[in-house]
Amino acid sequence: MNVSCALGSHCVAVARLGGGIGPGFLLLVVLLIAAAGYGATRLGRRRRGGRVADSTWHPERQGSSSTGAVAPSGDRAGAPDPAGLPSPQLTREDLARSPEPTASQERAHPASLAEPASLGQAPPVAPRAARAVDLLGGSAGGWAVETHGLTKRFGANVAVDNIELLVPRGSAFGYLGPNGAGKTTLIRTLLGLTRADAGTMSLLGIRVPSERSRALARVGAIVDEPRFHHHLTGRENLRLLGAARGGDADGRIPGSLARVGLTERADDKVASYSMGMRQRLGVAACLLGDPELLILDEPMNGLDPAGMHEMRAMIRSLVDEGRTVMLSSHLLDEVERTCDAVAIVDRGRVIRQGPIDELVRTAGARIVRLDCSDPAAAGRLLEQSGITASVTPGELMLTVTLPPGASRETVAEVNRRLVEGGISVYGLQEVHATLEDWFLSVTSRLGEQS
Amino acid sequence: MTEDTSTAPAGPARRAAVTAAGGARPDRAAAGGRYRSWIPSWGLITTKHLELRKRRGLLVVAVLLTVGLPVLVLGLRLIFHAVDPKSYGPAGSPSVFQFLCQPMAEFGFIIAATLGATAGTTDLTDGMFRHLVITGRSRLALYLARIPAGLSIILPLVAVAFAMVCLVTSYAGTPQPTSINVNGISVPAQLSQAQLKSWILRHPQQYDQAFVNGGPQVGNGGPQIGPAPGSTPVSRSANPRPVIDRDIATIYGDYTSDETGQLNPPINEMVKIGLWLELDIGIGFLVGLGVGSLIGQRTVSTVLMIVLQIIVTPILAAHVIPYFINGQRVVVGIALDQLRPAGLAGGGAGGPGHVLFGGRGVLNIPPMPTWAMITVIVGWIVGWSVIGAWRMATRDA
Repeated sequence: MNVSCALGSHCVAVARLGGGIGPGFLLLVVLLIAAAGYGATRLGRRRRGGRVADSTWHPERQGSSSTGAVAPSGDRAGAPDPAGLPSPQLTREDLARSPEPTASQERAHPASLAEPASLGQAPPVAPRAARAVDLLGGSAGGWAVETHGLTKRFGANVAVDNIELLVPRGSAFGYLGPNGAGKTTLIRTLLGLTRADAGTMSLLGIRVPSERSRALARVGAIVDEPRFHHHLTGRENLRLLGAARGGDADGRIPGSLARVGLTERADDKVASYSMGMRQRLGVAACLLGDPELLILDEPMNGLDPAGMHEMRAMIRSLVDEGRTVMLSSHLLDEVERTCDAVAIVDRGRVIRQGPIDELVRTAGARIVRLDCSDPAAAGRLLEQSGITASVTPGELMLTVTLPPGASRETVAEVNRRLVEGGISVYGLQEVHATLEDWFLSVTSRLGEQS
Repeated sequence: MTEDTSTAPAGPARRAAVTAAGGARPDRAAAGGRYRSWIPSWGLITTKHLELRKRRGLLVVAVLLTVGLPVLVLGLRLIFHAVDPKSYGPAGSPSVFQFLCQPMAEFGFIIAATLGATAGTTDLTDGMFRHLVITGRSRLALYLARIPAGLSIILPLVAVAFAMVCLVTSYAGTPQPTSINVNGISVPAQLSQAQLKSWILRHPQQYDQAFVNGGPQVGNGGPQIGPAPGSTPVSRSANPRPVIDRDIATIYGDYTSDETGQLNPPINEMVKIGLWLELDIGIGFLVGLGVGSLIGQRTVSTVLMIVLQIIVTPILAAHVIPYFINGQRVVVGIALDQLRPAGLAGGGAGGPGHVLFGGRGVLNIPPMPTWAMITVIVGWIVGWSVIGAWRMATRDA
């Protein structure tokens, strides 16, 4: 209201200087004061409104955890999952930790180890541990995507249910869930394509939808299957989008087309493009704005294995450039290969989120495969010992599942018990749980199937 | 992704390369401000124009129905007249002018409405609307860009077609007659209302034959126009002045109808007709755009516009519906018909004459006040534009 008072005083002073105040001028002054007051009130309301006024870390917002746990959403945070596994309460320290790559990870990242020259659009991708990804986010310029209590309903159906999501900057973040889990709806809500019913959100620290235009100027996105004007060429479609972007976007068209490998087909009509080419054109459209954040909805859809490989390499290269890539997918393997961190969504709710390695390590059971002289006897012996969760004897091998949280010492204890029981142990191999194992264990689909 | 890989720089260097291709990184704050602006940029308009122009099927139909018909008719007449001038008259004539301008108005409106509906729906149906919204550009700017983009296609087409008709009528037409035939009576051409009244008072016998006995007759050659429906017939009288004073407006309306059918329109009348055609076409486009944006389906929008133009409007323009006369007048086609220039009235029954800018209309219903007519036309333009823009701004993408 100070603004309005100042304006009013100024107007009166000007009127006095003018040699008298007529009724018309007084009316003008009153209108000015009212307008200024209204504007100031709105400004104040906008500044006060919404919980995400800034993008710094706020532990008190993260549900019941006072240690700053990263937000398993809503009231399911910390609750046992449907498979009976404990929820990982990942702390900031957990997120900041950059674990050494495991054998399974290295197996899962062949492209990162030996990128074929013919497909080498992206530079060799470093192992996750070597990537300078600030998964802590908040302290280094804020989160790329931040939502609190985000809810979107379609009638009685709650497509997005009280989502608390934190996407670290400079990382590849997977938004993983089965079909119909609400992945696309969340992305559409984030981008302002549909309105949220409740909650707050920000992109790159900029609140949306109140400052949506400013935020989207720095964001590129593909939502659903990328579709374009079929009667126009790829280049013309990009010109259309470049004109909407404005600025230098039009000048980036050749670079973007080259980046996705569409230069030679740029002047062909989109009607003649394959699904994979349209996906690539969609990525080129994203790059027109030189975005800091890319949101890709199911980018692997419709791609053949080579196309998936190329898309994966491209995403990694975008991340290596310092951009943040958030991708939604139901393809577990692709997310595991591509992303640094992941949020698992099921029935509109985020049920876990954090670095993939941490989630798998924390939530997954340790499995050990034994090559021994008598698997059946070994199984009985271990069951009697009570140190294992379950034992599955095979003809030649024995698979032992240790309880969650079991350490390497437990594995040694298994070996010791078998040797003391007179069973020769020829080999002992720890099997790491994959994201798929873990995903199936925590999402409701597994519960429905079983 | 498999191309250009061997030479592509890696990592941050590549990002710099992509950025360098477009020059300096954009000023984000400025970009945000620009995006919020509801004023469409020149680039936005030209690319939207490109998108519409590249719809070959639609454009071919538009060209055929606007430019193609005059080219065909006038071309054949020019050729026939050149080959056998005794059997075939000049290419341009008042009847040909009418014959070509009337469908230009009807087809032009429908084509414009179809183009508008296309402009309002293709981004949705082709899946581009989502891409455009994601750019952060103001949705209002996206909507407004379609207006100049579409109008810059359809208006020049109609202008070219009409210019051809005018040129042929003016330079390859029949010589302008000095009198017209009204029910077999030769009456001087191009008289004002006062001049006609003076002529009638000086020629009562011819007046009786031309205007009193001259109801609709068959087999008399030439246009036969009698008193307008609903007007009081002028009776023979030893002193017809009071009756003529009373009915001169109606008589003059009949006279101008005959004139329209028998005289080439003068330049100023051609200009009026051209402007009216452009207004008609422009309204068709804007209403089609608004309806298309509201409904989101091109086919439904186009069908609705066709029904409006060739079914609803003619019915409402031809019949007085008791207690619904004001409802009839709210239809934009009625208002446009009232504004229709005399040279394009087509020899119909005619309206009151000189409603606005020489408009006389082809209405068979009582005309509305000029302010009401203008309000209806402006209301349709603004109303549908607001509805279309609102729907675009609020639509889920």
